Amino acid sequence: MPSKRDLASFIGVFRRAAAAVAVLTVAACAGGSAATEGTAGGGDGTPAVLRVPDEHTTVQAAVDAASPGDLVLVSPGTYAESVLVDTDDVTVRGTDRNAVVIDGEGVRSSGVVATADGVRIENLTVRRTMHYGVLVTGMHDDDGPSAHGTDGYERLDPSRFPPVERFAVRHVTAANNGLYGIYAFDARHGAITDSYASGSADSGIYVGQCRECDILVQGNVAERNAVGFENANASDSVVVSGNRFSANRVGMTFLSNYQEAFTPQRAGTVVGNVVTTNTSADSPAHAEGAFGIGIGISGGRHNVLRDNLVAGNPRAGVLLANTEDLAAVGNRVDGSWAGDGVSRNGVDIANVSADRAPARGTCPGAAASTLPENLRAACGTPGPLDGVAPGELPRVQAPPGMSFLEVPAPPPQPGMTDVENVPAPLPSTVTAGIRLPEGVPDADLLAERSGVA
Amino acid sequence: MDRVSRREVLFGTGGVIAGVVAAAGGTAAGTALEQGRDDGTPAAAADLPADAPSTGAVRPDGTTQAGIDRPATPQRFGLLTVLDLPDAGSPATLLSRLATLGTAVLDLTGAASAVPPGGAGDLTVTVGLGPRPVAAIDPGLPGATALPRFAGDESIAPERVGGDLLLALHGSDPMALPAALRELRAALGDATPRWSESCFRGPGDGMVARNPLGFHDGITVPHGVRELSREVWLPPEGDGGDPRVTGGTLCVLRRLVLDTARFAELGTGSQEAVIGRRLSDGAPLSGGTMSDDVDLRAKTPTGQYLVPARAHTRAAHPSFTGSGLMLRRGYGFAAPAVGDDPGETGLFFISFQRELDTFVRTQHRLDEIDALMEFATPTASASFLVLPGFDAGRPLGSTLTA
Repeated sequence: MPSKRDLASFIGVFRRAAAAVAVLTVAACAGGSAATEGTAGGGDGTPAVLRVPDEHTTVQAAVDAASPGDLVLVSPGTYAESVLVDTDDVTVRGTDRNAVVIDGEGVRSSGVVATADGVRIENLTVRRTMHYGVLVTGMHDDDGPSAHGTDGYERLDPSRFPPVERFAVRHVTAANNGLYGIYAFDARHGAITDSYASGSADSGIYVGQCRECDILVQGNVAERNAVGFENANASDSVVVSGNRFSANRVGMTFLSNYQEAFTPQRAGTVVGNVVTTNTSADSPAHAEGAFGIGIGISGGRHNVLRDNLVAGNPRAGVLLANTEDLAAVGNRVDGSWAGDGVSRNGVDIANVSADRAPARGTCPGAAASTLPENLRAACGTPGPLDGVAPGELPRVQAPPGMSFLEVPAPPPQPGMTDVENVPAPLPSTVTAGIRLPEGVPDADLLAERSGVA
Repeated sequence: MDRVSRREVLFGTGGVIAGVVAAAGGTAAGTALEQGRDDGTPAAAADLPADAPSTGAVRPDGTTQAGIDRPATPQRFGLLTVLDLPDAGSPATLLSRLATLGTAVLDLTGAASAVPPGGAGDLTVTVGLGPRPVAAIDPGLPGATALPRFAGDESIAPERVGGDLLLALHGSDPMALPAALRELRAALGDATPRWSESCFRGPGDGMVARNPLGFHDGITVPHGVRELSREVWLPPEGDGGDPRVTGGTLCVLRRLVLDTARFAELGTGSQEAVIGRRLSDGAPLSGGTMSDDVDLRAKTPTGQYLVPARAHTRAAHPSFTGSGLMLRRGYGFAAPAVGDDPGETGLFFISFQRELDTFVRTQHRLDEIDALMEFATPTASASFLVLPGFDAGRPLGSTLTA
């Protein structure tokens, strides 16, 4: 168990750790010419493979020696490191997803952080960090990388921090990370695919603060988190499809959040996901007590949710709410509310928006149960939907939270096969023209990768 | 909607970690107000040292009125009066009345004041205009819109809602305040009193003092010329402001009866969870000292916030509402207990901000989630345009029709 002091400084450690990373990076850059003379070949345009630990004893040393286009290939082992990737078009890949482990040991802030364009993080496990397993962020300065807007008293100026362009996180297992498993913040044109996240006290997978995001989230499993997948202020082209967000406390959230830039959140595409039975007891508590909710939309707008299986969430399948003065507007919600072996939702769709920012423009299909029962009354009108007070939702008792470090380890996950192949640079667009799955998936979508299904 | 059942948190807004934050830039407002001093116009409050003692005289004149950011440590006593004006709908006579009132304020608070006979000491008079007279001049002016009704406001007595004129008197000598008010009422002529009440503050440094619940209050407020210009003073024309009210501000006044007996029964630990700070030293429950920022995202390994989800400190934090920061300058009150009537103890919540919406959004949020609101009952609610500073050459209210 962490000491009492560790509890108090759970967050505070981050900035110091990040600053230390930045210092190391500066030192590496100062000696940058050594990289091209040494083990790395990359500077001449021929992509090199930098092997850990054969050629470089740490992942960070290999990353620091890498040139754009190079592949850092990590062999099985447990690496007690915090890795910062700030060179464009570098790939960090494990040779064995389950046996290559970046371990925060419950003390380091982050596992792998990318602040450069075109970075791939692939086929490895990141666990036991205090904050982020994998973080891709355009927000970084002399104090190191960061994510999130402000909880101070100054207003955020996103123009100071242009987004990271092009990224890929795939075949990554992120377990027992204090806040987020895999997190893309202030980043665009990227993909989070075929990954797994559990044991996060915030969310397993998070996409935040971007416009024209062009981000694909596909084929992932997030379970035993406070929230499986979270989108805050990420808009226009975030495509979330074919994922399993079951057995969290809340499956998915779409949030407008004044603490970050670019409110309101809008225009996400959420298709063909399984969002069931979000009643996990072996997970950290949701800090605001949420439990038993499939999909929460708080101040999110014009999101399209279709062909999702949303069932077995005892408080609500889909919950519409406001964020302060920002109403949930124009969200399209349909799909399936029943699946084989899964119980019904407590209610399929409920509107708990406050009177000051009532939800508008959502017409649930006839199959869904709703609260209030006349939720459809305002369909086809610009007027406000009727709502209920949160106290009128089905009552569920949230079990106590489990320490993020004690959440059960995930089962082995399928990895990449052709790990020696040095990839071409990532494309500049991701979701344009993408083919989305047709129809509602079965309840056992990706269940073979789950530790609870 | 049911007031209590709304107070239930649904799903988080996520969150973590101290972000990298951009200062909103040395705002044009700050620059302009500072330039105001350079080009010979009267001094702004910042001319006074930040540690100006609250026992000395306070300049009544300048680009801003006294009693908002000066003296830097609010005086211990106050007398708040709200009146209606017979000429609220006719700007010409209203302005003449305000000019006379302003002259009386300068006389009362100036070096030659004889009220009380020993001199004014640190007496300040702050004058605010209610929405009705402001709207009569121009419905587009800041302050022309009244506060909306918040949770519990429906039971406020009608005479305690709104009003045309605020006279906020503050000083270290409580005996001087009614005497000064008499002088002001005489200068004002036939105004109709709505209510008047004395108030007081505990000892403190700067804006921080313990409130009637025993907790430190006024911790998170704007400081210095730059922050005050950005958050409190109505901006100059060059910063998108209306030159008629540059150097003014918007005041929100809420009288909150506090159930101090029930709060006391909670015990210290539960009280701290309601407030989000330690009783002993005002430090946030996320750690550090009183002056450290609240870490809203700090959690235990099992996922609980260190500053609880419904704690007042979290609920009132401006980052959630995308609004600015208020300059809070609150005072306590106590109404007598007689027979079975236990009397009233509570807080005059007094805030100054550049946009009324800063308060409105925050109060809506408090109504929805703040655990402290279960101990507070509003018994007066009003907002005022605090007029720009004035002097003999620029009478009170004269800028409104400039």
